[in-house]
Amino acid sequence: MSEIKENDPITIKLEKEKNDLKIGVFICRCGGNISDIVDIDKVKSSIDAEIVEEFENLCSLNGRKIIRENIINKNLDRIVIAACSPISHEKTFREYVQPLNPYLMDIANLREHCSWVHDDNPEKATEKAITLIKASIEKVKQSNPVDPISYQTPNSAVVIGGGIAGMNSALSLAKQGINVDLIEEAPTVGGNMAKIGKVFSPIKIAEECGLCLLNPILNEFVWHKNINIHTNSKVLNCEKRGGNFTLLVEKNPRYVDSDKCISCGKCSEVCEVEVNDSWNDGLSKRKAIYRPFSQSYPDSYIIDIENCEKCGKCVKICPMHAIRLKAEKEMIPLNSGSVIIATGHKLFNPDLRPEYGYSRYEDVITQSELGRIMGVNGPTKGKLKKLSNGKVPKRIVMIQCVGSRDEKPGGHKYCSKVCCMVALKNANIIKHKYPDTNIIICYTDIRTPGMYEKYYKHTQQAGIRLIRGRPGEVVKKNDTLIVRTEDTLKKEFVEIEADMVVLSTALEPSEGTKEIAKIMDIGVTEDFFIKESHPKTKPVTTDVKGAYVCGTAQDPKDITESIMQATSAAAKVSEMIHQGVEIEPFIAEIDQKRCNICEKCIHTCKYKALSIKDDEMHIDPVSCSGCGKCLTACSENAINIQGNIEEKIFGTIYGLLKDKKEGERRIIVFLDRIGYTTTDNIGVNRVKLPESIYVVKVHSVNRVMPKHIIYALQNGADGVFIGEYPGDLMYQEVEKKMNLIQEKIAENNMNPERLEFSNVYIPYFRGLAEKFERFDDKIKNLEG
Amino acid sequence: MKDIPNSNILLFKSCLVSVEYPGIESSTKYVFDKIGIDYEVNSRQTCCTGLGHYSDIFDQMSTSIIGARNFHVAKDLNRKNLVMLCATCYAINKKVANILNNKKETRNEINEIFEESNMGEMKYKEGDIDSSKNIFHVVDILYSKKEEIAKNIKFDLSKFKIATHHGCHYCKVHYNDTIGGIRDPNIIDDIIKYCGVETIGWYDHKITTCGSGFRQRFVNKDLSMDVTLDKLNSLKNDGVEVLVHLCPNCHVQFDRYEKYIADTNETEFNIIHLNIAQFIALAMGADPYKVVGIQTHTVPIEPFVKELEENIIETENKQEIVESDNNV
Repeated sequence: MSEIKENDPITIKLEKEKNDLKIGVFICRCGGNISDIVDIDKVKSSIDAEIVEEFENLCSLNGRKIIRENIINKNLDRIVIAACSPISHEKTFREYVQPLNPYLMDIANLREHCSWVHDDNPEKATEKAITLIKASIEKVKQSNPVDPISYQTPNSAVVIGGGIAGMNSALSLAKQGINVDLIEEAPTVGGNMAKIGKVFSPIKIAEECGLCLLNPILNEFVWHKNINIHTNSKVLNCEKRGGNFTLLVEKNPRYVDSDKCISCGKCSEVCEVEVNDSWNDGLSKRKAIYRPFSQSYPDSYIIDIENCEKCGKCVKICPMHAIRLKAEKEMIPLNSGSVIIATGHKLFNPDLRPEYGYSRYEDVITQSELGRIMGVNGPTKGKLKKLSNGKVPKRIVMIQCVGSRDEKPGGHKYCSKVCCMVALKNANIIKHKYPDTNIIICYTDIRTPGMYEKYYKHTQQAGIRLIRGRPGEVVKKNDTLIVRTEDTLKKEFVEIEADMVVLSTALEPSEGTKEIAKIMDIGVTEDFFIKESHPKTKPVTTDVKGAYVCGTAQDPKDITESIMQATSAAAKVSEMIHQGVEIEPFIAEIDQKRCNICEKCIHTCKYKALSIKDDEMHIDPVSCSGCGKCLTACSENAINIQGNIEEKIFGTIYGLLKDKKEGERRIIVFLDRIGYTTTDNIGVNRVKLPESIYVVKVHSVNRVMPKHIIYALQNGADGVFIGEYPGDLMYQEVEKKMNLIQEKIAENNMNPERLEFSNVYIPYFRGLAEKFERFDDKIKNLEG
Repeated sequence: MKDIPNSNILLFKSCLVSVEYPGIESSTKYVFDKIGIDYEVNSRQTCCTGLGHYSDIFDQMSTSIIGARNFHVAKDLNRKNLVMLCATCYAINKKVANILNNKKETRNEINEIFEESNMGEMKYKEGDIDSSKNIFHVVDILYSKKEEIAKNIKFDLSKFKIATHHGCHYCKVHYNDTIGGIRDPNIIDDIIKYCGVETIGWYDHKITTCGSGFRQRFVNKDLSMDVTLDKLNSLKNDGVEVLVHLCPNCHVQFDRYEKYIADTNETEFNIIHLNIAQFIALAMGADPYKVVGIQTHTVPIEPFVKELEENIIETENKQEIVESDNNV
């Protein structure tokens, strides 16, 4: 293979320019980790720089002193640290080079990528150390000072949704001194928990009053000075700029002045309109002027204007003159640094399983309706009654997985997670109050993990029967409901007679959840729940920076988990507000004079960092990853990435190749942070690397351009290896680009096989080492 | 709703229809002519293998080759829209199209067999026939032309109690192509509404199989008959007089075995069985013998026809039905 061509215009430029820069090289012995293998004296004598110093432990405070003194005394312009991996100590050394700009320093990794992978060959390790330092010198020559971007979000947040999750996250934020605007579409906060009736306690093996548990939270939430509650309101529009959200909220009138209303209820008494009360799942009636439930907030009545006949009787009787039939909706603009989405769930429509006869038979009801019936503030004041004739049912069958774990169209493939416990809870409550009731739960599998298993056992001991089988049909014969199912444990077909059948319907994303995802352009799962950035390590962040999710908007979960996720989301918002966000400055910037707002870049950006604001293209520094994809979309060349990255890559390549010896093989490997960490793991575990492998850390592998690769191959590189983590949003783009680059390599009369692309995963460092080995082998036998 | 073709149709003959109830085919042609469908029946087309396939006589490979051959016939006639009289042909051909389009190895193997057999012209190219866009059941076509059907109804059917039976192989195999619901199938009910009468809608056991289960009728006869009995009992309880079908195999199970089941269970059923095409043809005034072929039925259709013919609709009335339906 060739070597550095002195007449290559890029080489000429690199050699000519910036030769007057004073460069300081500091070598760390790392307590022998480096110096036992690498011959430091030989390294020192081979490096041409203003000063070359060695130190036992460069990362110590004494190391800082030496670096700093040399920078000041010798007027150094650029610094190369030859030590361990930048993954370990880049932050430390960026601080140690002050007063120099932190981005005028580069680290040559002599430990993980050199001494630890070549500990059987000190001579080679020494040579490689020299090359790595030279590459870093050439790289820092091309570096320009750039200021790190420190981004401070405003001390405010918007929480969308006033259920148990939304209230808890708002409360947590408020207690940390953050101003919160909470937006709730319904006329009251409280959400589903307010109507649930009783909740179960697996530890006490008892059921507790849901509203009694909710009330202290509700009170604290309502009275907190940092929380501003907007009920009857919904988000119409959301724009994002610089990690800032501007939301447009539409607030519908209550037609009753909450400040004046004393909730005496006289208005409701005189109102003659009766409609189904949705808070009781339509099982009872309410008036057109009403209060959703007795603890509802705001503590005032409201008019259901669609059903109001505007007779004026309530206006006349109201002693406080609080009723305003002519009120109009209001538009409220809100600005905030972060948004927490807590828009919750709705229940599966049981009519989508017509075989269960929900609409045909009055006594086929849902668990939610049973919850209302059993609730002391419900339609029957807590008395268990059949809806058809008011009698107490003697035989109850509960059907699990209605709409959950269902592969057919219209069903949900997922498990709704809470329904087993809900059924067991309601069965227990009934059994406790009406011990003679015969209750059977037909289940697919009982899912009661952890402590809930105790509650399950308790339920069995209370005499509730469980049949493993998914009922096929519910029919009515002579006033008796019949549930047909297979008892899959006994392998027999059974027909169970019942007075009441209760369907455990699936949890699915609420309409509000789907709407807000659309408005804010947030990614959703195939089931339309808000998708978290990572199901394991980033369970509350979303693909829109600064937007977090909690509660059942993200997936089915119970109250405990909703509260945990809510406070976790609040903690994430608080982190952003209190610490600010420090962003690597290597991100895109727009030349507004050139930009013609064609919007092509907006569509190519995988990180949703671009938007139009005030007729100008805007880049959100928090979202931009600096991958450079937008550069290729811009026909006007109006986008630039700060920090001279292209030149730095050329410099590094030049530095890596300029001392290449006759008959030697050099392969340049470009990796981003994940790939680089994987290679560090190769060193940490003392796995061997081929001598030919030289790893270059780049911000994004997408920034390695065809021209870099061609330059490398024409100037002595025997091969180029590019690795990318498949979870990276740019992975597919990069993979696609490889074929094009290979074509270009062929056009330049070189063998396209010299370029290799591979996926990398941090734990599979041995696999990566093997891939390097194979590629090295392949290159060895390659011609042309 | 998906696009349903009204031209370039190959009306796919069915063994069960030809052998058991030829009136289904002639009724379909009669109705198609009335509502303006461009179709052809062609003698080069063969059986889909359905009955043999489900009785383990034809394996999937043989079935796929035969399917590929029939698809070639359709392409050759420039009638790429295959419309099935039988739910089994419907499900089998859809599956074959999916295999031929998605399984490259099988496709190559089949094409090699064609080549070796000197029938290279029959080779199948990926995407020749789209399972969803080219293969339909007659009910799909009728459904798409229900307004046209309404205009041609001659008799008032409103005095009859009618229920529907939707074949499993229409509703429960290719879920995503089924029109009118899979859990509460309603496509026939909907078409019948446009004939001027509401069916009873849901009834106990509506979604249960007819019981035939192909060879089950012969090897597990008691179970097979029990399933049919449940369904007949439920229909009897609801006072149903006419059960309308879309699949000739279900039709056989009910019509041929109704008396046998009644006798073995010491009961009586008076439910007649008609295919949806026969039902519409009769309502449009087709000849009960020459077109609808009621002489091939076991449960006699004559009393129904007699009653029907007494209730001819005056022209103005007919218009009213159409209009009121358009308001639905």
